[in-house]
Amino acid sequence: MSSTWILYMAFAAVLLGVGVYCLLAMRNLIKLFIGIEVVSKGVSLVLLATVCAKGNILLAQSLVITFIVVEVCLVATALAIIINITRHTKSLDVRKLTKLRG
Amino acid sequence: MVLQIILLSLLVLFAVMAILLRDLIKSAISLALASLCLGIIFFRMNAPYAGVFEISVVAGLITVLFILTIALTRSEGEVRESKAALIIFPLVFIAFLVVDILVMKSLLHRVPALPATPEAAGLKFGEVLWKQRTFDLVGQVLVILAGVFAVLALFRKRNKDE
Repeated sequence: MSSTWILYMAFAAVLLGVGVYCLLAMRNLIKLFIGIEVVSKGVSLVLLATVCAKGNILLAQSLVITFIVVEVCLVATALAIIINITRHTKSLDVRKLTKLRG
Repeated sequence: MVLQIILLSLLVLFAVMAILLRDLIKSAISLALASLCLGIIFFRMNAPYAGVFEISVVAGLITVLFILTIALTRSEGEVRESKAALIIFPLVFIAFLVVDILVMKSLLHRVPALPATPEAAGLKFGEVLWKQRTFDLVGQVLVILAGVFAVLALFRKRNKDE
């Protein structure tokens, strides 16, 4: 109980780092969204790990379930936006989305 | 404990593969495998409900949505990722890993032990989910509704006179 949650936090930090790197470096819109998914996996691991340290597992589970529901809505909406963007710009490249640049 | 560390390493490995693989279908599938590992970790952390949701919704539904999107946008051709990003990644990853291990090691004995809050005996998961949390469930329902309406609005057909 004492040091296990630090282990989970360390791995969750790695997931967050990998996801943020993907968001910074990649150009494909779907790849960027896969990066967001990796970040959200790290977040749900943190949610369960921190509350595991306090021993209140039921509340942690309900928080994780809420987070997963929100995540699914985010995915559905964002993928719909990606499909619409590709129909307009004829490409999945994020650099082509510069029309709003002044 | 050893099995848990192996599962966590597999989770990180599949996440890295999902980011680095060039084929989008393969990266969606390795994302699903990462979710599967996370679900098994949840089961082993004694959280079966979260594990079931993780495996069924995230590994199942989200993968289907990803593959659907990839199929719908496949005709637009490939996007060339910058080679520098792929070359720098191992260096950044190892540097991040070292910093992460050092920070967590220094935190290990400094963070005071959290006071344990023992759960009321006999409390069931459903009671916690539905009775202890009240208004945020309304928010959760609203989030789902907002998502449905957002997708509907995005795929709305244009009027004939436009």
